[in-house]
Amino acid sequence: MLQLVLFNLFNGLIIGAFYVLLALGLSMILNLSNVINFAHGNFLALGGYLAYVLIPYIGFWPSLLIAPLLTGVVGLIIEQTMIRRIYGRDPIYSLLLTFGLAFMIQDACRYIWGVNGLPLATPPSISRPLSTEFFFLTGYRVFVVGIVIVAVAALFMFLRFTRMGMRIRAGVFDLETVSALGINVKLLRSLNFAGGIFLAGLAGVLAGGQIGLNPNMGDSLLLPSFIAIIVGGMGSLVGTLLGGLLIGVAAAITTVFFASASDTVIYVIMALVLLLRPRGLLGEEGIL
Amino acid sequence: MSAMLEVRNVSKHFGNLVAVKDVSLRVAKGELRAIIGPNGAGKTTFFNLITGFFAPSSGEIFFDGRNVTRLTAPQRVKIGMARTFQITEVFPELSVNENVRIAAEVTAGYALSPWLSAERGRSIEQTVAGLVERVGLADKSQRAVGELAHGDQRAAEIAMALALRPRLLLLDEPTAGMGEQETYQIAGLIRKLHRDESYTIILVEHDMRVVFHLADRISVLDQGMLLADGTPDEIAADRAVQEAYLGKAA
Amino acid sequence: MRPGGDTTAALRGAAERRWAVLAGIWVVLIAAPFWLPLVHGYTSLGSRILVLGLAAMSVNFLIGFTGVVSFGHAAYFGLGVYGAGMMLRYVTASTPLALVAGILLGGGAGVVVGAMICRSRGIYFAMITIAFEQIFYYIAYKWDSVTGGYDGLRGFQRAPIHFGLFTLDIKHSDLAFYYFVLVVFAIVAGVMGFLLRSPFGRTLLAIRENERRARFLGIAVDLHIWLSFSISAFCIGAAGALYAMVNNFSDPSSLYFDLSGDLVIMAVMGGIRSFWGPLLGAAIFEVLQDYISSRTVNWLFFIGLVFVIVVMFFPRGLLGMFQRRRAA
Repeated sequence: MLQLVLFNLFNGLIIGAFYVLLALGLSMILNLSNVINFAHGNFLALGGYLAYVLIPYIGFWPSLLIAPLLTGVVGLIIEQTMIRRIYGRDPIYSLLLTFGLAFMIQDACRYIWGVNGLPLATPPSISRPLSTEFFFLTGYRVFVVGIVIVAVAALFMFLRFTRMGMRIRAGVFDLETVSALGINVKLLRSLNFAGGIFLAGLAGVLAGGQIGLNPNMGDSLLLPSFIAIIVGGMGSLVGTLLGGLLIGVAAAITTVFFASASDTVIYVIMALVLLLRPRGLLGEEGIL
Repeated sequence: MSAMLEVRNVSKHFGNLVAVKDVSLRVAKGELRAIIGPNGAGKTTFFNLITGFFAPSSGEIFFDGRNVTRLTAPQRVKIGMARTFQITEVFPELSVNENVRIAAEVTAGYALSPWLSAERGRSIEQTVAGLVERVGLADKSQRAVGELAHGDQRAAEIAMALALRPRLLLLDEPTAGMGEQETYQIAGLIRKLHRDESYTIILVEHDMRVVFHLADRISVLDQGMLLADGTPDEIAADRAVQEAYLGKAA
Repeated sequence: MRPGGDTTAALRGAAERRWAVLAGIWVVLIAAPFWLPLVHGYTSLGSRILVLGLAAMSVNFLIGFTGVVSFGHAAYFGLGVYGAGMMLRYVTASTPLALVAGILLGGGAGVVVGAMICRSRGIYFAMITIAFEQIFYYIAYKWDSVTGGYDGLRGFQRAPIHFGLFTLDIKHSDLAFYYFVLVVFAIVAGVMGFLLRSPFGRTLLAIRENERRARFLGIAVDLHIWLSFSISAFCIGAAGALYAMVNNFSDPSSLYFDLSGDLVIMAVMGGIRSFWGPLLGAAIFEVLQDYISSRTVNWLFFIGLVFVIVVMFFPRGLLGMFQRRRAA
């Protein structure tokens, strides 16, 4: 029993880690640009496929960094050519735009790499089980959790200690003032967008190594990521982090006792939070 | 004469900053009172205290004998204190008629009505046509307010305020940012509402020509305190006011 | 008090134009089964467009006329689909009851969800509507024994309607069904149009235009948004019920947020500031989708491209480009 609980807890942690990576990027873009990026899950898939292309040439470790960077560049290009033109307009337009982009990226991936799943080769050094008793502790899964922790820590350090990061945080609270201080808001938003997409790309490489690649691989993660943001509280990245972990772990623990309700619990948590704390666990005053 | 508005020892602090300090004043029924003062004198804060956008830190506000200190802004609107805003607040894509009509219908208690009887509809339409006529927009009543010139937008906003059937009209810098022609238009409109229709009006205003031309009495704020209070002639002769305004008066 | 003579004439002109346009629209709709074959269409395509058009118009009641963006309205559409489907499948083969069931299920859910979310605004409102939609999709997907789960609910058919003296056989006659759909469409669209021209409807426009101003006029903004959300959910529930009868099938994808996106793009394509725009948008989108998917396997890419092009180049929609402003 203990083993089962631990197994599922760890599973929850992994899935929660993916939610966190995806939701943090979504949340960054949402907070600073007021855009819900429906294409976020498709950027995740793109990141995985780019790693698939790169690995035969440069190997896994460099690809782990380069593929997300390239995904971020693609994101930056899309932001520069399309998304920035709808900033400040009615939210309906950003929703429709990223909705359309989601279809386009998904179909482009399918066109280029095919409908069937592709495996993403991971180095043998991290693919072995670490323990015979706790068989689920494969090196790769521990590695995923480790990378996510590093990435999240780096993100929060960046936001707290660098000038650009502090400007981004200030922009979330009061974009007008930041703009009035002569800070280039457009540049800030572009880099922030690219950063969010980078995280999606990273999640894509990690997920590809675990479950393989397919054009729809991000779809099942996108909506839980929305829920992570709502539960954590919109406007707060720490909230998003908590929200992602909470729903990942809650769903996994539910699996132990009541397997068929494991997905349901996510929605129950969301409804409860919205009823009891409409702004989310750590939501900012005034957003709701 | 009984007071339409009475402010008793009102102060407002923001943290350590004292924006308004122990101000008292009485505005009589039918009076047109101007509130002036140099930049940063606390005019806007004081105006927001009267209209209910802020609650005062101390002191009390009475409207027509009723203590309104704790009422919210919409509650004050309901009992007859209507305001306009420094930056025009209208429904830009809707026509002048629709703008005024919405205000009139909400005031008449029809905000949730899915339909109006023909009789009530006609009565509202007459009210609206009358208001639009009074502010001089009859020939533009079908045009979107957002497309109108600045002065006409302000006139539309005043018509909306009038549709609330106010007993006190509060105008926050009604000629701010306007050219010569538009300033005349709005000053003329305010004068008409005051002289011909005997509205009680309080206005905060920068343009001294408008103030001295229109006001029955003037209150001067400086550094959050009431510096002087009197007729335009008394204020013009007041030494303290001249000092506060040295080089600033238009 | 008498408005100038010019204004009266202009007003009368505008009113006459409006009646002419309205009459034109209804002539086109009533005659559709006769002109559709001339443009390689068919009657049941007409029914389908009418239903999706009604759904898009319901969404637009909220988006275009209240200024609140729901991106999860497929939930109430889909609940309409399942309400009608389950009534026909499990309870009784009665078309009117199926319609009522769809309206109540979709609208009832809208009332509950609307109450929970009517205090949030903007992009956050949209996000929460998506999350709630996912809940309903998930229920339909998981509750196999009742909803048919992934495969959807089959095994029902729309039933002929008995009027005592005669029977309208909408089961076998596409033509009869089209006119049945048109009558329901007329009633629901009529209700929305009527409300939008009422004092309540004008408060919604006020909220769309300037929420702060509306609040200081004394409009209880949250309450009005909730009511608008609920009304729009009842209306789209009716569309959903009709959709179940169009297909004789309750499909879980009718609850999925992809459909919400389709409904919103229909509204935007036609013009969200216009009452009839979403119907036009639905017609164009459906025809375009049929055409694209018959020409290429990569149809999804091109549908996405349609979304992008509309947003970038035609944000005001077709009717928005023609009519610079709705006559008052």
